[in-house]
Amino acid sequence: MMPDFTDNLKPASPTGPDILNKERSQSDVPVDQLAQHLFRDGFMERQKRILRVLEKDVLFVKVKQLNLSRPERYQLGLARAKKLRRYADQYNWNNDERSMSQYLCDDVSPFMVHDSMFITTVREQGDEQQRKYWLPKIEASEAIGCYAQTELGHGSNVRGIECQARFDPKTKQFVLHSPTLTSSKWWNGSMGRTANHAIVVAQLLVPKARDTTEYNSLGPHAFIVQIRDLKTHKELPGIAVGDINVKYGYAPMDNGYMLFDNYRIPHSAMLSNYSRVDPNTCTYSKPANPAVVYGSLTAVRAAIIMHARLIMARAVTIAVRYTCVRRQFQDRDSNDPRAPELSVLDYPTVQIRILPLLATAFALHYTGAAMQALYQTTRAQIDKGDFGKLAVLHAQSSGLKSLCTELAANSIETCRRAMGGHGFGGGSGFIQLNHDYLSKPTVEGDNWMITQQTASYLIKRMAAAVANKGKPQDEIEQACRHWLQHEQKTAPLPVFEDDMMIVKAFHKRSRYLTYQAYVEREVNKRSWNSLLIQLRKVSHAESQSILVTNFHNALHDNNSGISENLKAHLQTLFQLFAMYTMDSDARDFHKAGAVSDADLDELPARIQELMAQIRPHAVLLVDSWKIPDFLLDSALGRYDGKVYEDLFNRAHRLNPLNELTFNPYYKSDEIVMGRGDDELKKIMAKL
Amino acid sequence: MTTPPQWVRDLKPSGPQGSELLAHERSKSSVNVDQLSTFLFTSEGLARKRRVLKVLENEKVFDKSQNYFAGRVDRFETALARAKRLRQLAVRNGWSNDDRLIANELISEPGPYGLHESMFLITLRDQGNAEQHEKFLKPAEQYKYIGCYAQTELGHGSNVRGLETTATWNKEDQTFTIHSPYLTASKWWIGSLGRTANHAVVMAQLIIGGKSYGPHPFVVQIRDLNTHETLENIHVGDIGPKFGYNTMDNGYLLFNQVKVPHISMLARFSRVDPKTNQYVRPASASLIYGTLTWVRSTIVMQAGGVLARGVTIATRYCAVRRQFQDRDAQEGQKSENQVINYTTVQIRLLPLLATTFALHFTGKAMMEMYGANQKKMSQDVGKVGGPERGAGPEETHSGSDLLADLHATSCGLKSLASYTAVEGLEMCRRACGGHGYSSFSGIGPWYADYLPTATWEGDNYMLTQQVARYLLKSARSVLKGNEPTNDTTFILTNFLSRQDTGAAFDVLGNDADIVAAFAWRSAFLTFEALKHRDEQKRPWNSLLVDFYRLSRAHSQYMVVKNFYETLQASPSATGLDAETLAIMHKLFRLYSLHTLESEASEFYTSSAVTVRQIQLCRTNAVMRLLEEIRPHAVRLVDAWSFPDWQLDSSLGRYDGKVYEDMFYRASELNPLNKVVVDPYPDSKVLFKKNEAAALKSKL
Ligand SMILES: Cc1cc2nc3c(=O)[nH]c(=O)nc-3n(C[C@H](O)[C@H](O)[C@H](O)COP(=O)(O)OP(=O)(O)OC[C@H]3O[C@@H](n4cnc5c(N)ncnc54)[C@H](O)[C@@H]3O)c2cc1C
Ligand SMILES: Cc1cc2nc3c(=O)[nH]c(=O)nc-3n(C[C@H](O)[C@H](O)[C@H](O)COP(=O)(O)OP(=O)(O)OC[C@H]3O[C@@H](n4cnc5c(N)ncnc54)[C@H](O)[C@@H]3O)c2cc1C
Repeated sequence: MMPDFTDNLKPASPTGPDILNKERSQSDVPVDQLAQHLFRDGFMERQKRILRVLEKDVLFVKVKQLNLSRPERYQLGLARAKKLRRYADQYNWNNDERSMSQYLCDDVSPFMVHDSMFITTVREQGDEQQRKYWLPKIEASEAIGCYAQTELGHGSNVRGIECQARFDPKTKQFVLHSPTLTSSKWWNGSMGRTANHAIVVAQLLVPKARDTTEYNSLGPHAFIVQIRDLKTHKELPGIAVGDINVKYGYAPMDNGYMLFDNYRIPHSAMLSNYSRVDPNTCTYSKPANPAVVYGSLTAVRAAIIMHARLIMARAVTIAVRYTCVRRQFQDRDSNDPRAPELSVLDYPTVQIRILPLLATAFALHYTGAAMQALYQTTRAQIDKGDFGKLAVLHAQSSGLKSLCTELAANSIETCRRAMGGHGFGGGSGFIQLNHDYLSKPTVEGDNWMITQQTASYLIKRMAAAVANKGKPQDEIEQACRHWLQHEQKTAPLPVFEDDMMIVKAFHKRSRYLTYQAYVEREVNKRSWNSLLIQLRKVSHAESQSILVTNFHNALHDNNSGISENLKAHLQTLFQLFAMYTMDSDARDFHKAGAVSDADLDELPARIQELMAQIRPHAVLLVDSWKIPDFLLDSALGRYDGKVYEDLFNRAHRLNPLNELTFNPYYKSDEIVMGRGDDELKKIMAKL
Repeated sequence: MTTPPQWVRDLKPSGPQGSELLAHERSKSSVNVDQLSTFLFTSEGLARKRRVLKVLENEKVFDKSQNYFAGRVDRFETALARAKRLRQLAVRNGWSNDDRLIANELISEPGPYGLHESMFLITLRDQGNAEQHEKFLKPAEQYKYIGCYAQTELGHGSNVRGLETTATWNKEDQTFTIHSPYLTASKWWIGSLGRTANHAVVMAQLIIGGKSYGPHPFVVQIRDLNTHETLENIHVGDIGPKFGYNTMDNGYLLFNQVKVPHISMLARFSRVDPKTNQYVRPASASLIYGTLTWVRSTIVMQAGGVLARGVTIATRYCAVRRQFQDRDAQEGQKSENQVINYTTVQIRLLPLLATTFALHFTGKAMMEMYGANQKKMSQDVGKVGGPERGAGPEETHSGSDLLADLHATSCGLKSLASYTAVEGLEMCRRACGGHGYSSFSGIGPWYADYLPTATWEGDNYMLTQQVARYLLKSARSVLKGNEPTNDTTFILTNFLSRQDTGAAFDVLGNDADIVAAFAWRSAFLTFEALKHRDEQKRPWNSLLVDFYRLSRAHSQYMVVKNFYETLQASPSATGLDAETLAIMHKLFRLYSLHTLESEASEFYTSSAVTVRQIQLCRTNAVMRLLEEIRPHAVRLVDAWSFPDWQLDSSLGRYDGKVYEDMFYRASELNPLNKVVVDPYPDSKVLFKKNEAAALKSKL
């Protein structure tokens, strides 16, 4: 790039770095202590170490990738995925280190499903022989896999999938077949172009007896299937497979479709740790205990929440830093005509969009952490088949997945919009973040659907509590009994007096809504469908109650080792999260008799006060999440505040469109100056 | 194109087919689609759309099937080719402005001539004098001058008075020097500027004799008319990829002491007298005021259609998509439920369906009011203050009360309507489950291009301050005992006179009472805000959240009122038969009661309704309305009459062939499937074979 007069231009003062320095010096938040408190398992050390590797490698430079076409973006994604894998070998990275490299690279990798669902399914559902055969091949990336469950016609309703696996006793093979177009596998990550193997979930059909053509339909089962040639990488005969095309996000990922034309696979392809078909007698044996998946599913959901909190932290980090640097208008009530403009974060209409989300990131953190801890400590019991507390957590976890991913997904957009015009630009760091994360409300259980699971469980416990027989089965039932017998009739709680009262108010409201739903369903016999909206509320109320409880517990954990000063800051965040949430559903708290009308009316003023308390510490609070600039990839969210320099640099120096001069006059068919109508011909040829 | 094997081509979706499901939906309802679309768009408008569509469909360059694959540079090139072709067609077919607007709507992609055809031409027309019309407007209308509107800077957007670009008057040679003193003075975001324009209207701080007179518009040539290269001491370019709007070259622009002649300053309202070197004040800025109001009213009206597109897609798809049997289904009942039958799907889609009509009618009513006021305004010239686009003027004069009312209303409604559309579109996309995440849902890309509407023409949060300011002013006037002069002062007066006796609105039984309850809540919040500001002397900034809520409440009242009044028109005026009209009344109630329920706290606190009413509203009224409207949903979206060509959506096809189309686009139109990859980490080869690339080099 040629030097020009813009090289010497500086932003008007006060400059971004000055502003952020001032923000940082005015607060006493102990950043490092807070970071230690948030990331305890070597996370930060790992982040630093792996960041050093990636930062040195041009393949991982992100600034220009938004310009690429879809095929190019996939190509880049594949190149990065391979490189990361080679680094893993070179540096001997363990699983945590590999995930860290993924996290920092921030691509939805074409190997993602291989590294997660594919290998996990073989490990959990394969029998000993299958594990012995497959796991080494998978580890060595000889078998590169995907997970093919969802179909064009069915996703949520797994029992409704149409792909068939018919057992043929003569050859002792299974015949995979796609009878309809809607039975095409669809959305399956890594399958479109990358994988050479797939876990295929298909309806198992087994002959009623050895010689009949009548079949028993035994529901969806998993098979491991080779789908492409190991040398040419072409699909095998009898299989049609490809990429499903452009999506809202996930550009580097080849989500795929796949169809089978009476495609034969050996008996050993059916993953048989739990259920199996005897090849000689055709008898089918069922899983001993279908609940074994509880454990890992809960762990997966805990991980989703821990991820969601990092997403929120990332969005809030950018938004807080930028809205401090961004100044617009002088204070209307100021009499000084030369007063500097206000940081837009000083406006309460900006605060109310961003600061409650800052508090929410912490709320998610404590619940995710509590779930992980519980999973760890009860793992030994689970392996013995005793689910104890985990059964409750499992039932609650679908509601938590729904609420937390919803909060995180929405926070991205809320923060982005709070940043005005620049939030819309490529330098915001929000584009890929939004595009990729917005899959989360749908995948791993559609958010509007899975709340039914939590609500259904709660209603059952409430019904048991009403019946009041014997000892309560679990803590929820016990809480329901307590509510029925005492809590229900107590006076509204003085929520401004003591944080514990806040926690109790959330409990009370959740029990109340559960009871209402119980009455509708079990007493008034209302149809399930007519209750879905109410059930979603029940589930969200319970999830919010869990978030508030875990946040509160963490602050009163005497072993946390945090200083009183830090505790005070966290307490303000706790109150902001709780009161903001309470205000959004104020009427429910009122109806439940949990909070008085007068207190509810006072909430908006309290919230504004809490935001004012947090405002001076906002920058250090987001700094504590230690999200590196490399990951943010944002001109607006840079640690050093050089917002405008970076925006200009990206526009001026890193923009391929500026390398071309166009012919703008409509009478000429020339598009690029000097190229005649070549360009137009090229364009037309592609259409 | 890749052709799949025969056995794949022979496959059908499992039954019932999408086309059968939609046919069944349509047969269940008696909503008169033709009458309703005519009511929405007039038969003339519908005919225009058909006529223009026919032209566009036959032009290959507008083929949409490859839009989402291409990289930024290719997308822009295609967009420029389209813009040129469109202009050629307009000239050849003698298209009117309305024809052109319809064409843009059908193409649905921001184009490189976008700002030339809107803000550049409008500004030259409205703010130039006769001589300037001759010099600038004429060549601009012939597309010899291609322009843009350069107001926003890197450092300032909302606060227009804070712009840093300067235009200094040189009395020696009677020129202006345009200069960018800081990096933050760089113009930024300017549509059509990056690569396309050769001229710009530049807003710069006018400085005469060392004194600053605030931002004024200057016409500046920025590129050579032959080579299209940038002129000396000007620095211009495209700002790079964005969340959406990638077919538009939003640009940056810097000046290094560039001299322009006296005629460059658009001088219809204010000017520099070259003889005296004096600044001549604007006679009136009411025209700009009017234009802003008009632009915002357009946004309100378009918001209905913008949202309707998402609602159309989601409604049709959710009627085709089937998932699970009903949980309470009888034994043996096998078939799966259309997901639109789930109440959690209905509660997301049907209130939005009602909203599309509510916004459309509101926008239409505002445009009509605007038209009626145009005349009155020309008589009022000189009485209205000049509001810059900022946190807004407290200096609006109540001298032209209707206009002031319209202006404030347009701010609040712009904010409410564009947010409703933005959030509604995302709601629709998510309601489609996994397939909503595909680009071929047609919702995601549409949403991305619409998003900036929440920010431009006044940031949606900031605009609400103008509404609040106006309402406070009106309340003060009412408290002084002045007679009501417009609807706002009327509802405020009404509230004052009845606030002690209280209100007992029958919101569940009487439609007029619904409107009254919304008015009541708005008036209540206005006087609350006034108390905070005037009695408690609270700082302005501490009240912004209250103002935001107030503006929202007032705007919702406007929407409810306009929806209600539209349906009160005589049957001959609406042209709707009784059954269709009855459904429209239900949609009115759904919009209103669902809103009331979502904002329950404010209605309750203001004593507009009782807790019991809110409860009944939630558990009975809204649920019953969902059930009653459900059978008509598909026909109601049909009435928006979006051609498939415009929707460009697999999920929203009129014929319901969702799965066939999804599969076709994936397997046959997808350039990635021409690539065979080498997936093994140890090999540095990425693509073993790339037929797409081979094709490229052949052309
Ligand atoms: C980016 C991405 C990656 C994916 N990766 C994989 C993968 O690797 N492997 C794989 O197998 N799959 C994958 N999927 C598929 C994914 O798991 C499904 O899309 C998801 O489970 C949602 O199911 P669906 O699409 O069928 O939604 P649908 O069930 O069709 O949802 C449509 C609407 O109906 C509603 N609805 C449905 N049922 C009910 C009910 N009973 N009650 C109330 N409402 C209901 C939903 O709330 C939603 O609003 C992926 C999807 C995406 C978007
Ligand atoms: C796609 C696109 C195209 C555009 N095209 C053009 C164009 O052609 N020509 C042109 O001149 N401009 C254009 N713009 C710029 C656009 O008009 C501005 O982005 C818009 O006016 C908002 O200003 P801002 O970006 O400075 O937001 P900011 O003012 O920086 O807003 C940031 C945040 O601060 C808040 N805030 C700011 N001031 C206050 C206050 N006083 N009180 C409370 N809150 C406040 C806002 O609510 C927002 O949340 C375009 C923008 C986009 C995104």
